Amino acid sequence: MRKRILIAVALFSLLSILGGLYIIHSLSRATAIQGNLITLHQVEILREHLLIQIKKVQGDLTLKGTRHERDIETLTNHVHTMSTVIDSCFGCHHNEATKSKLESLHGRIDEYKLALSRVFTIKANSALLERDKDAAFSIGRSLIDDLNAMLAFTSMKLEERTQAALTEIKRTKSVIALFILTGPLLAVGLALLLFKRFSDPISSLLDATRKLKSGDLDHRVKGLKDEFGEVAASFNEMAGSLKEQMKSMQRAEQLVVIGEMATGLAHEIKNPLAGIKASIEILSGELDLKQEDQEVLTRIIEEIKKIETLLRSLLNYARPPSPQIDLVRIDHILTRSLTSARYSVKGLLPRLDKPHAVTFEKNFDGNLPAILADPAQLEQVFLNLLLNAAEAMPEGGTVTMIASYDIGMDAVSIEVSDTGRGIEDKDIDKIFNPFYTTKPRGTGLGLAICKRLIEQQGGSISAENNPGGGARFTVTIPVNQDPEVQSR
Amino acid sequence: MDVVKLVRKFLLIALSLCVAISTGCERDEKITPKAAKAAGKMEATATVTIGLIPEHNIFRQMERFKPLAKYLAERTGLKIELKILSRYGNIISNFVSMNLDGAFFGSFTYTLAHSKIGLEVMARPESPEGTSTYYGLLFVRKDSGLKEGRDMRGKRFAFVDKATTAGYLLPLDYFKSQGINDYKAYFSETYFTGTHENAIYDVLNKKADVGAAKNTVFYRIAKEDPRILKELAILFRSPDVPENALALRKDLPDTVKQRIKSALLAMSDDPEGARVLGSFGAGRFIETTDQDYAAVFTYAEKIGLDLATHDYIND
Repeated sequence: MRKRILIAVALFSLLSILGGLYIIHSLSRATAIQGNLITLHQVEILREHLLIQIKKVQGDLTLKGTRHERDIETLTNHVHTMSTVIDSCFGCHHNEATKSKLESLHGRIDEYKLALSRVFTIKANSALLERDKDAAFSIGRSLIDDLNAMLAFTSMKLEERTQAALTEIKRTKSVIALFILTGPLLAVGLALLLFKRFSDPISSLLDATRKLKSGDLDHRVKGLKDEFGEVAASFNEMAGSLKEQMKSMQRAEQLVVIGEMATGLAHEIKNPLAGIKASIEILSGELDLKQEDQEVLTRIIEEIKKIETLLRSLLNYARPPSPQIDLVRIDHILTRSLTSARYSVKGLLPRLDKPHAVTFEKNFDGNLPAILADPAQLEQVFLNLLLNAAEAMPEGGTVTMIASYDIGMDAVSIEVSDTGRGIEDKDIDKIFNPFYTTKPRGTGLGLAICKRLIEQQGGSISAENNPGGGARFTVTIPVNQDPEVQSR
Repeated sequence: MDVVKLVRKFLLIALSLCVAISTGCERDEKITPKAAKAAGKMEATATVTIGLIPEHNIFRQMERFKPLAKYLAERTGLKIELKILSRYGNIISNFVSMNLDGAFFGSFTYTLAHSKIGLEVMARPESPEGTSTYYGLLFVRKDSGLKEGRDMRGKRFAFVDKATTAGYLLPLDYFKSQGINDYKAYFSETYFTGTHENAIYDVLNKKADVGAAKNTVFYRIAKEDPRILKELAILFRSPDVPENALALRKDLPDTVKQRIKSALLAMSDDPEGARVLGSFGAGRFIETTDQDYAAVFTYAEKIGLDLATHDYIND
């Protein structure tokens, strides 16, 4: 849009400049034409003046020898004026042909002067005098004829050029009038076009905002280009984001409701279940039951234990214990977690196809600082992550634990990665949700509890897949706890 | 020869005495009421009118003298007006009626006018080559076959003016030397061209067979028109006489005369004056006195012309 506006303004400016230049050019040309016509008029006047002077001299010559003969001073004055006029003719800027004609005229005027002088000075017989007078008169007559021809030519030229000038001035007037009329129209048209270019996208965006406000989160702005297109894209992105966040909030609210319901149910179930379990254990010890029946009771008790474990987990998630913050060495906690995990993996042997293939590796920074945290909860979290990693590699593999210190964030970062099959993309955003599990016999509360425990201590947890395969969980814990956390 | 020398000396002394006497007389006239009135008029109007004789064609003559008049006006503070005359002799006849205060006289015109008008010669130009005199030339076309007087019978003769040395005295001298006593009868046609330039061109253009003119005009025109030297042959020449000089009325105020004379004589020392002199065709102006005209008297005497009775009006 900015580019289009610039182009439009540049185009309009260019047209204005061209128009202005044309007007200036036209004015200059009109002035030049006028000057040319004035010069031509001057030339005509000058030639007429010359003609008059020659006629005067011819008159002096005609009167020579009569009783009206003029004195020599009058003649010299007339001849002097005639010479001055022909000399001034050379002051005008003539073309070469006219200049040559004028030079010829000048030469003949000199010849005329010589002949005149002769007539006025000679003293001879009348035949000779008449002959000289006739010769001078003849030159004068010829000069008058030539000048008349030149004057006729000048008049014709003047007429032609005047007509041409008038035609040109008329045409120029028309063009300038066209400029004057079309200029504002063009400006208004351009302004309207620009206004429309601005107002339409703004209307479209305003309409979209109103629809968003009314709850239509699926409305999208379409068809806008340039900068408005970018604004529309941001708007659409914002609308999409709002929709996602709305969904997420709804889901979270649902989870909270479900969790609270589950917790309430757990409380209600826990005590009766403990009674059922105790009663069955008593019955199992006191009754003389057949082996088959005894096994049934044992299975019932095992199932009840599972329910109890589930209920504990559920309560643990719903009402996690407050963290007991202490200054702890994280490397020690991690090492203990690793040790526990190794032992626990042995307990998993029956569930793993190739249990001996799981190995644990660690890589800790030498400068890991002591941190303020609940050591028991941290150990629970890391053990959970390590066992999850081991379980994610049913065919064996390596679990690597890396711990480092981020000076900028003043936090320690612990990565637990495996070489298993990784997490499916569709699951990766949901694995921290309660009751969400990919394991056939999982409760779906392990990672949810881990997340709550870590967040209780001001940290964060995230999951992603390694580029080379397997999943990687990253836990970040601040070195110094927030006072609010410490007070929990 | 001795007799001729004696006659010349006598004439010179006589002329000097005449000039001295006339000058003295005119000095007396300066104090007359008429002279005083004239002097008063001159100072008041501060205009000096100078006549020009038609040495060249009249318009060219005017153009030639205009820069000189302008320069003199600037240097003297006087208004200088030029008036061209159509005849050499007119300058003598009409000097007073034309209200002239001075004129550039030819040598013979001055000699004729001197005693009649009461003039005081001031200065005359000297050529860039250092010549302040001129002489008359008698010429024919080279292809005319005319070599001497006897070839000229029945031919046409072009004088300049009866008041010119080169254009009249010289031909008379030639006729005398050739034994032509009555030139009007000897030639089929004689006339007066009025200017030296016309006389030269008339012979060149075959309007006349023989002509006479002054050498300065002859050679000045020859520079512009090469036909003159190529086609004309000179048969005779006169003695040297003073170049046309400026003479002023004696009754002009001395201050006016002195201012003009000084300006003329100092022209060559002034760059602007030198430039004007260059266009005029002179190197400088030199002081001129009546004594310089003795050669003209001698020449007239030799021809046998009586200056006192000479009719200078052309026939």
